[in-house]
Amino acid sequence: MILYDFDYERPGTLQEAMSLLRNSGVDARLLAGGTDLLPNMRVQNLKPALLISLGAIAPMPPQAGEDGSIRIDALSRLADLENSDFIRREIPLLAESAHAVGGNQIRQSATLGGNLCQETRCLHLNQEHDYQFAAPCYKRGGDCCYPYPGNKPGSCWSVYMSDTAPALIALGAEVEILGEEGTRSVPAERLFSGNALTPLLIARSEMIRSLIVPAAPAGFGWGYHKSTLRGGLEFAMANMAVTLRLEDDGETCAAARIVVGAVSEGPLRASSAERKLVGKALTAELLSEAADDASDEINPLPHHGFTRNYLRENIRVYLRRTLTAALERASGGII
Amino acid sequence: MSELNFVGKSFKRKDGPDKVTGRAVYSEDVKLPGTLIGRILRSPHPHARIVGIDTSKARALPGVKGVITVEDTKGVKHGFVETPRYPADQEVLARGKVVHVGEEIAAVAAVDAITAQRALALIEVEYEILPAVFDAERAMDPSAPEIHPSHPKVKEEYANIGGKSEGGWGDVERGFAESHYVREDRFESQVRTHGYLESQVTLAHWEGDKLNVWTSSMGNFVKRAKLAKTLDLPYSAVRIHKTYVGGTFGGKIDLFSHEYCAARLSILTGRPVRIVASREEIFSAFRHAQPLIVEVKTGVKKDGTILAQQMRVINDAGAYRGSGVVVVFLAWGFTMAPYRCPNLKYEGFSVYTNYSVRAPQRGHGCPKVRFAIESQLDMIAEALGIDPIAIRLRNARQPGEELPNGDNVHNGNLPACIRMAAEKSELLKKYGQARKTPQTGHLRRGIGIGISAYFGGSLVYPNSSGVMVKMNDDGSAIVLTGAIDVGQGSETIIAQIVAEELAVGMDDVKLISSDTDATPQDIGAWVSGMTYITGNAARQAAGNAREKLIQVAAEQMKVPVEDLWVENKEVFNRRHPEQRMSYAQVFAASVATRRGDTIVGEGFWRTMRDEPTHPSLATTKGRWTENYAFSAQVAEVEVDIETGEAKLVKAYTVHDCGFPINPALVKGQVDGQVSMALGHAFLEEVLTKNGYTLNPNWLDYRMPTIHNMAASEDADVITEEYRVGQPYRTKEVGEGLVSGILAAMGNAVYDATGVRLYSTPFAPDRILDGLKKLQLKQAAEIRETTTEMQWSQP
Amino acid sequence: MNHLHSQAAEDAAGQAHNGSKRRSRCIALNINGELHEITVQPRKMLIEVIRETVGLTGTKGSCLSGTCGACTVLLSGRPVLSCITLAVECEGKEIRTVEDLAQGGKLNALQEAFLDQGAVQCGFCTPGMLMSATALLERHEKPSLAQIKKGLEGNLCRCTGYNAIVDAVLQVSDQGVLPVMK
Repeated sequence: MILYDFDYERPGTLQEAMSLLRNSGVDARLLAGGTDLLPNMRVQNLKPALLISLGAIAPMPPQAGEDGSIRIDALSRLADLENSDFIRREIPLLAESAHAVGGNQIRQSATLGGNLCQETRCLHLNQEHDYQFAAPCYKRGGDCCYPYPGNKPGSCWSVYMSDTAPALIALGAEVEILGEEGTRSVPAERLFSGNALTPLLIARSEMIRSLIVPAAPAGFGWGYHKSTLRGGLEFAMANMAVTLRLEDDGETCAAARIVVGAVSEGPLRASSAERKLVGKALTAELLSEAADDASDEINPLPHHGFTRNYLRENIRVYLRRTLTAALERASGGII
Repeated sequence: MSELNFVGKSFKRKDGPDKVTGRAVYSEDVKLPGTLIGRILRSPHPHARIVGIDTSKARALPGVKGVITVEDTKGVKHGFVETPRYPADQEVLARGKVVHVGEEIAAVAAVDAITAQRALALIEVEYEILPAVFDAERAMDPSAPEIHPSHPKVKEEYANIGGKSEGGWGDVERGFAESHYVREDRFESQVRTHGYLESQVTLAHWEGDKLNVWTSSMGNFVKRAKLAKTLDLPYSAVRIHKTYVGGTFGGKIDLFSHEYCAARLSILTGRPVRIVASREEIFSAFRHAQPLIVEVKTGVKKDGTILAQQMRVINDAGAYRGSGVVVVFLAWGFTMAPYRCPNLKYEGFSVYTNYSVRAPQRGHGCPKVRFAIESQLDMIAEALGIDPIAIRLRNARQPGEELPNGDNVHNGNLPACIRMAAEKSELLKKYGQARKTPQTGHLRRGIGIGISAYFGGSLVYPNSSGVMVKMNDDGSAIVLTGAIDVGQGSETIIAQIVAEELAVGMDDVKLISSDTDATPQDIGAWVSGMTYITGNAARQAAGNAREKLIQVAAEQMKVPVEDLWVENKEVFNRRHPEQRMSYAQVFAASVATRRGDTIVGEGFWRTMRDEPTHPSLATTKGRWTENYAFSAQVAEVEVDIETGEAKLVKAYTVHDCGFPINPALVKGQVDGQVSMALGHAFLEEVLTKNGYTLNPNWLDYRMPTIHNMAASEDADVITEEYRVGQPYRTKEVGEGLVSGILAAMGNAVYDATGVRLYSTPFAPDRILDGLKKLQLKQAAEIRETTTEMQWSQP
Repeated sequence: MNHLHSQAAEDAAGQAHNGSKRRSRCIALNINGELHEITVQPRKMLIEVIRETVGLTGTKGSCLSGTCGACTVLLSGRPVLSCITLAVECEGKEIRTVEDLAQGGKLNALQEAFLDQGAVQCGFCTPGMLMSATALLERHEKPSLAQIKKGLEGNLCRCTGYNAIVDAVLQVSDQGVLPVMK
C-alpha cells in the first residue's frame, strides 16, 4: 500500500514519455517494472508526484549489429533475458546475472534498465519510518546518518546492489541514454557516481534506452557469482562478474575485467588485480593472487549484517572461483 | 479391539479444498460494511516518560471517528502469566512511560488508511527520554536503568528481575567432587521471530451488547478471556469467531494491544474496526522468541555417566513479563527430563530489557537448552574417548522411569530413539571422518546428534477441552470443538478420531470449530496438547454418541448392549451380523421412543486430572504432565571451509509421539520443525541497535527459502505399543523437534570442521573465525613439536 | 457500498490535504475472464483492487512490499507480485487468481497434488505458491529440481520446509512421486 496520492500518465510513445518527464513541472519518475520504485514509495523514501508509466511501450527484441554487438532494450524484462535462448547463447554472463536477481516474480516484472536505476540500500532505509528512524537521513533529504552518526552531510554509505551492473561493466557494455538532446552513450562503468545520494550519473530528464554489449572476442571467458546466505530471493552480500580474454596461444591473458558489486556505493573494478593478469600466462596461482589483490583493493562497506572482514574473505574466495571458471571457459574447458 | 480404519492413516486435510481454492476465510478476508481502519501510534523511544499526549488535532481531522489513549481504557492490566506471584503487569496502552520502541500509546479509527495515517501524525506526545538497557546481564547490574522494580521475592541484589525459577535435587558440589571430569561452558542464542505469513489482523464489531471479533489467533478462549477482562465485559458479551489462521508458531497467543484497540474503538464508534499490523510493526513492536544465555557445568564419571549438572539461565525477556518467567521455568524441565542426573541444580532469571515483549515460540526455550547441553555432552564424550551415541545411551532415561517431580515417562523410550537414529543415519560410521582422513576440496561433511524431551498439554488456562458430537438424522455427525486449526491439522485429526469411534466416513463428519459462542471451551493450539487433550475429548464425545446409538438399538433390536457394535453407519449384532440398524433408523427410533432425544455425545479431557493446579513457576515443584515425548535427531551438514558457509543437507528424526493419528501430518510437523531449526542454525536473526529493529522485513530477516530445504526422514519408534487397546495414546509432535536437530547441527558443524560454536546462528564469519583460530592453534602445536624435537636431538 | 463510501471519503481527505484532487482513473480489468470496470486511484495496488473492490479474497497479502510471494497472481501468464503492481498498469492484461484454478467446482491436478502431498498447512502461502507453480508448469512440462527451486524461490512458506511442495510439483508433472495422503 502506498499511503499518499500521486498522478499517473501512461504515454503511448517514448517521445511522449520523455516530454512528460521534462515538462510536467513536478517531481516525476518513470515507472517500468516498479519492483524497486514502488516499495521505495511505500516506505516514502521516494515521493514522486507523478509516475510516467512505460507499460504501454513494448521493448524491442535483442538485435545483433553488423559489428557483432548486441543491442538490448532497457525495457526488457529480466525474466525474458534469462530465458532467451539468444541471450543465453550470445551473452551468457548477462543471462546469468539476470537469473540471479530477486525471486522469479521480481524478474518477471523488473526491467534491465530499472535494475540499473535501482536505489541504494541500507538497513535503516529499507523500512517504514513511522516510529523507527523517523527523522529523515541524508539519503532521504534530512540531516543525519543512522548507521554512521559521524558522517558529514553529503556522505551516505548505503550500498548499490544491482546484480546486472557488474556483468554489464565486465562485458564492456555501452549504455545508451535518451535525453533532451537526443541520445548519448557512455560505458556502463561511467554510469555510477560513487556517491550513494545520487548513485547514477543520469539526469532526472533522461532515461536508459538500451544497452549495447560488444561481440565476445575469441578466447573469451566469463564468470559470475552472487553471494547470499540463502541462495536466492534476497539482495547480494556481494556479487562479482569477471571476463577474461586469452591471446591466440590460449594461455596469455590479453584482457581482464574484475567487477565487484553490492559492497559499495557503486560497482567497483579491481584495476590493479586486472593489471596483474594482463600479459601473463594464467595459472591457478596467479588467479588466486589476483583474487587476493582484488579483495584487498576493494574496501567493502559493511552492510546488511555482514562485516567488512567477512565480505573481504567472501569476495576473495569467490573471485578466485569465478576467475577459475572464466579461465576454463576461455580455454574451452566449460561453456 | 477391532482394526483401526481412520486413525493411524494419512487422510487428506479437511480444510484442504478451502485452502487451495482461496475459499478459506482468514481474519482479513472478513468484510463488514462501514468498517473503519484502525492504526496504532507507537513509541519512537526505547525508554521514556510520557509527559503529555495531545490528541485534539487528530480528533478534529475530518474522517477520524475515534482516538483512544490509556485514559479511554478501564486501566485493567493483563499479562501472559497471571498468578498471585506474577500478577498481570501490562496495560493495553502505555501509561506514564514507554519501555520499548513500538510500544502502543494511542489508537485511531478513521474512514480509510490514509486518514488514519494522517491522524497518527497529528497526535502530539511529549517525551522525557530515560536511559535504556539492551543487554540482559547489564540490566541485572544494580546500577542499570530500572525498567521495572525487581520481583520482591528475588533475594539477589539484581536489578530488573521479572522472575526467577529454581529447581534441583541432590548435592551438586559433592557430585562435582566425585566426578572424573568436569567442564563448564556458556552458550548464547540470537533473537528470532516466528515468521507467520499472515499478519496480525483484528476485526472487531460492537453491536450494542455483543462484541464480535475475528482475529488471527491460536487460542480463541484465551483471547476471549483477556479481551473481556480488559474491556470489563462478561465473557458472554465477547464472541471470537472462527477464521482460518495463517501460521502462529507461538506468536499469536496472549492478548495484543491492537486487539483491544480495535474492540474499544468499535465500542466507541459503533462501527466495525479493522487493524492490520504491517510487517515492520510485527518485527519491531510485536513479540519475538526469547534469547537465552545458558551456563552449564557438568560432572561425569569416567564412563560418561552424568553425576552432577548445574545450570544458570538468563532470559532477555523484553520490557514486560510476557512469557519470560515461563521460559526460565520450562528451561528447567527441558534440562531434567531426558537424562538421569543424581545431583542437579538449576536457576533461571527472567530479566527486563528495553526490547519488545517476548512470546512463546515453537519449543519455548527448549532449542537453546538442548543446544547447550547436547553440545557440551559431545565435548565431554570426546574428552573421555566415548562416542556420542554411547554417552547418550548411558544417561538416557528408560521407559517407566519416574522423575523426581513425580512425573512418569511411561512408555517414552529415549534409548530406542537414540539407537534407531544412530542406525538409520549410520552415524558411528560417518562420525569423525572429516577430521580423521586427509580431505581434498573445500567442502566438508559432518554428522551430529541431539536429543530432546517435550511435554504436551500442561495445565494452562483454560486447562481443558470439551467436545460435542451431534448426530444428524441421516446418520452423519457434526462436531462442535473449540480447537483452532492453525495449520497443524487439528480439524482433520478430530474428524479422524470421530469417524473411528462412530464408524462413519470422513465425509460424514463436519466440524464447527473455534467459535467461542458456538463451541465448547478448548485449550487452544498451544502447550502442544491439542491432539492429546481435544483429541481425547473428541474420542469421548464420539464414544458417548456411539453408546447412545447402541443403547437405542439394543432396545429396538431387543439384544443386550454388549452384543452390539458399530460399522459403516450401522449398529449390528456381533452374534448375528445380519441383524443391523442404520444410524438413521436408530436416530428416528431415539426421537420416537426416548422423548425426542436427538443423540448428542459429550466429551471432555484435561491433562493430569488428579492434579488441582499447574506446578509452581518459581520452585518448579508439582507435577508437570503425563506426556513426555522424546526424540533423537541426526543432522548431516556441509561446510565450505573457505567461505564458512554451512548448510543442513539431511535430517533424521526419530521421535516418540505416541500413536500418530495421521502419519503424513506428523511428517509435515517434522519437516516444518527441521526447516525452522535450520533457520535458527544458519540464517535467522532479528538485528537490533539500541532497541530499534534493523531488519523488519523478509529480505533482511532471512527465513529459509526453497533453496534451503533439507532432506528430512522421520520414524516413530513405538507405534505398536501405543496402539494396544483404547485409547490410541497420543503425545506431542508439534514443538519438540526444533531442538535436538539444532544441537545436532552444531555438533555436525564441529564434526565437519573441528570448530565448536557456542552461539547461534552458525554464521559464515563465525565458522571462518573458528577455522582460522584452529589453524593458528595447529600451527603453534606444530611449532612446539618441532621445537621439542630439536631439543631432543643430541 | 463500503468501497465507494471509503473511496469518496479518501478523496475528500486527499483534497483537504493536498489542495487538489488527484485524478482517479476508470479502468477495465480482466480478472479470471470477467471484465470489471472500476474507478481507482493510481496509488492502488492490484492486490487492493482484487481483494477490496472485486472481493476475491483468495489472493493473500502478507509483506505488502514484494518480498514473500503470498500475493502472486498471473498477469498475462507471468507470475507477478500484486502487492507491488499498480492496478492501473494491468489494463488490457489477463489477470488470473487462485479462484480460477478449480473449474466447475473440481480441483485441478496441481491443487489435488498439493493436498495429496501435504503441501498445505496453514494455507496462507498456498494461493501464491499455486500461482507460481502454475506458471512454472506452463513453462516446463517436467521441471527439474533446480527449475522448481528457481520457479518457487520467491514464495516463502514457514510451515512445510518446502519438501512437500516440491513433491507436489513432481507428482503433478508425473515424475515418479506418488500421493502420500488419501
